[in-house]
Amino acid sequence: MRDRESSAVEQESSDYEKSVVLSALEHDQLVKARKRFFPRRQLKGAEFGILWALRIYVILMMFVVAYQVWIAAR
Amino acid sequence: MKPVSTQPETEAVLITHEDIDRAHDRLRVLSARGGRGFFSNARLLWLLIGPGVLVMLGENDGPSMLSYAATGAKFGIGFFIPFVILTFCMAIVVQEMTVRLGAATHRGHAELIFERFGPFWGWFSLIDLGIGNFLTLITEFIAVRAGLGYFGISPWLAILIALAILYAALMTHRYWTWERITLTAALFNLIFIPVALMTHPHWHAVARSIITAKPLPLFNSETLLILLADIGATVTPWMLFFQQSATVDKGLTIKDIRFGRADTVIGAALASAAAVATILATAPLFAHQMSAGNFEAAQFAQALEPVIGRFGASLFALGMVEAGIVAAITISTSSAYAFGEVAHKPHSLNLPIGQGKSFYGVLTLCAAAAAAIVLIPGLPLVYVVLIVNVVAVLAMPPALVFLYMLVNDKEIMGNLVSPLWANVFSTGVVLLLTAAGVLFGISVIAPNVFAIIGGK
Repeated sequence: MRDRESSAVEQESSDYEKSVVLSALEHDQLVKARKRFFPRRQLKGAEFGILWALRIYVILMMFVVAYQVWIAAR
Repeated sequence: MKPVSTQPETEAVLITHEDIDRAHDRLRVLSARGGRGFFSNARLLWLLIGPGVLVMLGENDGPSMLSYAATGAKFGIGFFIPFVILTFCMAIVVQEMTVRLGAATHRGHAELIFERFGPFWGWFSLIDLGIGNFLTLITEFIAVRAGLGYFGISPWLAILIALAILYAALMTHRYWTWERITLTAALFNLIFIPVALMTHPHWHAVARSIITAKPLPLFNSETLLILLADIGATVTPWMLFFQQSATVDKGLTIKDIRFGRADTVIGAALASAAAVATILATAPLFAHQMSAGNFEAAQFAQALEPVIGRFGASLFALGMVEAGIVAAITISTSSAYAFGEVAHKPHSLNLPIGQGKSFYGVLTLCAAAAAAIVLIPGLPLVYVVLIVNVVAVLAMPPALVFLYMLVNDKEIMGNLVSPLWANVFSTGVVLLLTAAGVLFGISVIAPNVFAIIGGK
C-alpha cells in the first residue's frame, strides 16, 4: 500500500514538463527510479571485524566522554 | 564499467514536482555545457558550485570557530596554523568521495548505507549522526545567543532571529534558491579575515609557522583536546551525509564530478582562510598572556575590544552569529535528508510543504528543539560546547569506513571507485582519528600519563 505522502508526490504533468524532465535528467535521477533499492552487499569476515571493532570503540569512547563531563561538572 | 542502474528502462515514467524543479536547474547546466571557453566554464562552475562550499563553510560553525579562537588564544601563531590547513586538505579528500558517490548513484549517504549494509549497520550510523547533529545544533544556537548577546540582544530574540532566517531560506521550496541564500549567508564567514587584519599579525611569524610548523606546543592533555577539537572542526559525520544528499538533490551527474571537486576545494580554501584568520585574530590574547580557558563567543569579542576596538569586536561577534546560523541550516537539513532517505519519505528542498511534510517537519523539529534547549535557564551548556567536536572526531572513524567501503564498491561505482592513493590516505585518516580518540580516552582516564612521557 502506498502511503499518502508518496502518492501525493505523483501528479499529473503536461507533455511539455515530461519532455523537459526526460531531456534534462538521467533516468536514475527520477524520484520513482530512486525508490528502487540497490541489492544488499555480502560483508566479508574482515569487514565485519572492522565494523564491530569500530562500533565497540565508539560505544566505549562515549562512556569516556560522559565520564569527562561528569568530572567537569563536579 | 558503468555503475548498475536500479530502474528498468521500459517502466512507465511518473514525473513529480521535485523532478520538474530539478530538471529546470539541470537544463541551465546542459545549456552552459554546450558552450566552450572560459566564460562557459565559469558559468558551469557558478551553476554547479554549492554543496562543497556550503559543507565547508557550514562546518566553520559555532564550536569550530570557538575552537580556532581558543587555539589562537592559547597557543598563538605556530604549529596549529599549518595543522588546521592540513585538516582542511584531509576534509577535501574525504568530501570528494561523497561527490563521486552522490553523482554516480543518485542516492544519499544514509540511503546507501541502509541498502548496501542493511538496517542493522544503517541504524548504528544514523544514531551516531542523530546524536552528533543534535548536540552540534544546540551549540549553534549557543553561538548565536552569545554572539547577539554582545550587542545586548536578549536570548529569546536572538534564537527567534536565527529560527526566522532558517525558515525564510526553507520557505522558497526550491533547492536552487535555498542554496544561493545559504551560500550568501555562508560567505559572511569571511568576516574573520578583516578582524584578523585589524590585529596587525606578524606576517613573518605566520609564514615561518606555515613552513616550519613551529613553535610546537607542549604535548599534554590540553594540547590534545585542542588538537581533537580542531580536527572535529573540519571533518565530521554530518558533512558526509549532507554533501552527498545535497549533490543528489542538486542533480549532479558523473559529468559534473570535476566541478563538484572544484566546489569542494573552493569551499575548503575559503573555510581554511576563515579558520586561520580566527586563530590570527585571537593570537594577541596569547601574546598578552590573557587566560582564555572558558571563553565563549561574546567573551572573546569583549577580550579583543582593547586590541581591535569596538568595531572589530562587533565583527567578531557577528562572525560567530553567522557561523551558528549557517551551520544550523545545513546540519538540520542533513538530519532531514537522512531521515527521509531511511524512512523512504520524500526528501528534497524542491518539495512544496504539502508534499514534504515529514522532510520539513524533521528539519523544523530538530532546529526548534535545539533552540528550545538553549533557552532553558540554568542548563550547563558549556559542557556541550566542550565535547561536541570531540564527539564528532570519535564518531568519524566508523562513518569513514562506511564511506571507504561504498566508494570502493564496484557494483555501484563502476570505474569511479577510489584510486589507490585516496584509499591509502583515507585509511591513514581513519587510523589517525582512532589514535587521537584513544589518546583522548587515556588523557581522561589517566591524566598523569602525559607527565610520564614528557608533557606538563
